Amino acid sequence: MSEFAGAGAEIGSFYPMPRPDASPPVEEHLPPREWLKKNLFSNVFNSALTVAAGLLIIVMLRGLLGFIFNPLRQWNATAVNLRLLMTHAYPADQYLRVWFSVAAFLILTGLSIAVWRAGSRVPVPDVGKRVTALGVFVTLSALLAPFSGSARLSWLAVAVFLLASGLSVSRTSKDRSVSSLSLLVGVCGLAALSLWVIPYGHHSFVIDRTPKILAEPGTVDLTTKLPWTIMLLIAVAAYGVGLLLRDRIPAKVARTSLVLAWILTPILLLFLVLRDPDFDMGHVLSTDIPIFLVFAILGSALLLWLTNPETGEVGRIIAVTVLMLAFGSFLTPMRMVIRILMLLLAIFSLAGPTFSGDRRTRHNYVAIWTGTAVFVSWLITAINTPSTAPVPGQFFLGGFSMTLMVAFFTLLVSFPLGVMLALARTSNMPIFRLLATWFIEFVRGVPLITILIFFSVMVPLFLPDGMDLSEVAAVTIGYALFASAYLAENVRGGIQSVTRGQHEAAEAVGMTTSQKTVFIVLPQALRVAIPPLVGQVIGTFKETSLLIIIGLFDLLFVAKAIIPNQTAFMGSTRENLMVISLIYWVISYSMSKASMRIEKRVGLGEQ
Amino acid sequence: MTDVTDVTETETGTDSGGAARSGRDLSSAKDMIVCEGVSKWYGDFQALEGVSATIKEQEVVVVLGPSGSGKSTWIRCINRLEEHQEGLIVVDGVELSNDLRNIEKVRSEVGMVFQQFNLFPHLKVRDNVSLAPIWVRKKPKAEAEEQAQALLELVGIPEQADKFPGQLSGGQQQRVAIARALAMEPKIMLFDEPTSALDPEMIKEVLDVMKNLALSGMTMMVVTHEMGFAKEVADRIIFMEEGQIVEVGTPEHFFTNPTEDRTKLFLSQILA
Repeated sequence: MSEFAGAGAEIGSFYPMPRPDASPPVEEHLPPREWLKKNLFSNVFNSALTVAAGLLIIVMLRGLLGFIFNPLRQWNATAVNLRLLMTHAYPADQYLRVWFSVAAFLILTGLSIAVWRAGSRVPVPDVGKRVTALGVFVTLSALLAPFSGSARLSWLAVAVFLLASGLSVSRTSKDRSVSSLSLLVGVCGLAALSLWVIPYGHHSFVIDRTPKILAEPGTVDLTTKLPWTIMLLIAVAAYGVGLLLRDRIPAKVARTSLVLAWILTPILLLFLVLRDPDFDMGHVLSTDIPIFLVFAILGSALLLWLTNPETGEVGRIIAVTVLMLAFGSFLTPMRMVIRILMLLLAIFSLAGPTFSGDRRTRHNYVAIWTGTAVFVSWLITAINTPSTAPVPGQFFLGGFSMTLMVAFFTLLVSFPLGVMLALARTSNMPIFRLLATWFIEFVRGVPLITILIFFSVMVPLFLPDGMDLSEVAAVTIGYALFASAYLAENVRGGIQSVTRGQHEAAEAVGMTTSQKTVFIVLPQALRVAIPPLVGQVIGTFKETSLLIIIGLFDLLFVAKAIIPNQTAFMGSTRENLMVISLIYWVISYSMSKASMRIEKRVGLGEQ
Repeated sequence: MTDVTDVTETETGTDSGGAARSGRDLSSAKDMIVCEGVSKWYGDFQALEGVSATIKEQEVVVVLGPSGSGKSTWIRCINRLEEHQEGLIVVDGVELSNDLRNIEKVRSEVGMVFQQFNLFPHLKVRDNVSLAPIWVRKKPKAEAEEQAQALLELVGIPEQADKFPGQLSGGQQQRVAIARALAMEPKIMLFDEPTSALDPEMIKEVLDVMKNLALSGMTMMVVTHEMGFAKEVADRIIFMEEGQIVEVGTPEHFFTNPTEDRTKLFLSQILA
């Protein structure tokens, strides 16, 4: 018998004998009527609430559908202007570059999904339930929308089809599941197929002496169908390649290189592909490359020496000297490249002793320095070279692409800056603490619009001679400074959440303050700060619409501005605005979902 | 510094007063920790009052006393987690002052085990142990990881190396903390109530590791309430109350024939 038998005999009869594990009582699946009664109409108050809410939903839905399907609406205003909304004034004959960039992003997405195992398995009955829910929604809409009789019947037919298939699928056994990625590809595939099959209508906007729309029946234009189909195939292929790679390459290497690729690709695409700089090879060979080589070689030697554990106090003194030289170079007339490379070298030198160690560690450190030097030198050279994409007006990007670009660069600059500000504000040294606090409090007291206007108008006046900064760049820097202040406060909350015991444990083992910060405090702080940080990312992305104030053509501006100039689409601004609201919402919601995923992976909230 | 990995056996229960090492003559051993007239105030409240003691090499000292007596404060002053305002603390020849270099030198020779374990939750167990040797002692990664695995074997949990601290029980976590402290090859180990946060079933496994450590010749200073451990393993017992050292003596003297009244009162409460 079990070992408890003896204990039970000793202690007495009230020691319970263990039973074999009973299975928990099975939850009863209520039929719909009972479910409604229990959940929606359980008492008078709930019933009243249900009825009121139901009426409200029906009225709103009816209004929305009435607006959408009103015959006066011109949804082809958006369809025709899609290219303008996405890339504004980018020359049409160079559009292959844009498709190349889209393909690059889709490749990265496909690889990332594979390497990070972002797919999940969805039980088939759940899919059925979702389809059923969709069918219910379509039924409701078909009944409420102002359709003609035949249109209503055809939509109702679609709804019935959805309901039937949904219900039948939801009755299959729970054991069968399908990958969420297959579902995604399936849906996208159907959408792509519909481009080839369903006659949405072929619209083209002819800019003549009298602009007019040519609306022809038939399927969508080949210049739309073909690239999107190819994009879908590329994304799927990239996922397949990712599957192959993830078995062959160690996970850490794959993930680090993909993160690096994500950070570098937009920069490379912007400055190499889309902008198509006209490199003057003579200048590059005679000036830029020698400058880079000097910094790379001398800098590597210096860093090798600084990360040697035997180098003592002298190393720190030399590092501070380099920092002083870097600051000094900003005050003297010198090439921007040299100043920035010196500043970077100073930062690497100061951080050197923290990362000192054996030969492999030192070589890794020097390799990172060399890579950074290569990238920065190339980037500055590319920025200073004129572009060959002939673009009328301000900047060669506009619309959605500008929104993405400004958001990306703002986040790229403001994240490291925000973390450094947070560390400065929580540091023990009074000067860092004071400067950081003043900066943060000042920036938080000023509205974003003020900063944007200030940077777009006043910064060119403050720059020293010879420095030329485009308006977009100046504004992005201003926005990045603004965002970094808010980020700093979020990260500071995370830093303060790290318990004192962690600090003590790190100190007791002999770690210096910088080592403790980098290896113990920051990883824990950033994990805790993920929810507010993601909120910051979403906010930054949407606040780019404030660029409208200074006249830069972001998505919102383009949507509003193009309609008044197109007599054929008079009064159709609202359609545009609705569509771009949908675009903003889709992207923001995806980021929220991604953040929930990240939190789950990192194990937050699980005590 | 003796090699900890030589010891494989546990001497349990039958000893009293460190009998396995009785007859050791520690009078000629080096002074490891010297405290003279150490006083510390928190604002107006005096936590330590004229504490003076000397701990020799390979000696195991257990500090007993009621709560609030300053035991933890004193032990935390020794590796400068707290600062003392008056008096002298010399650890292995290095005087503790505000000089940062001295503090770092002392901390790398003194290992500490906390009541709340304080393991790094975002790192695996093996990385917890090997982090400091890699970045503070500048050891190559492979060597540090080998050492980490060996230390985990020493404390009895080699199979947990790839788990995260949150997946381990309290006793296992504390043993990882001991391994982490040992990874820096310290000359002195400080224990601040290492078993106070543990369930009774897990206390024994941690005390066994500490016993092994003591038998291998480590200089240890332990603040604890485990009287059994004090009786078996300690060379000397220091009794503190209200920030002052009240009585010092061997375990036999302390438990059977204490001199001071306050000591007798404390023992009557504890052993009643």
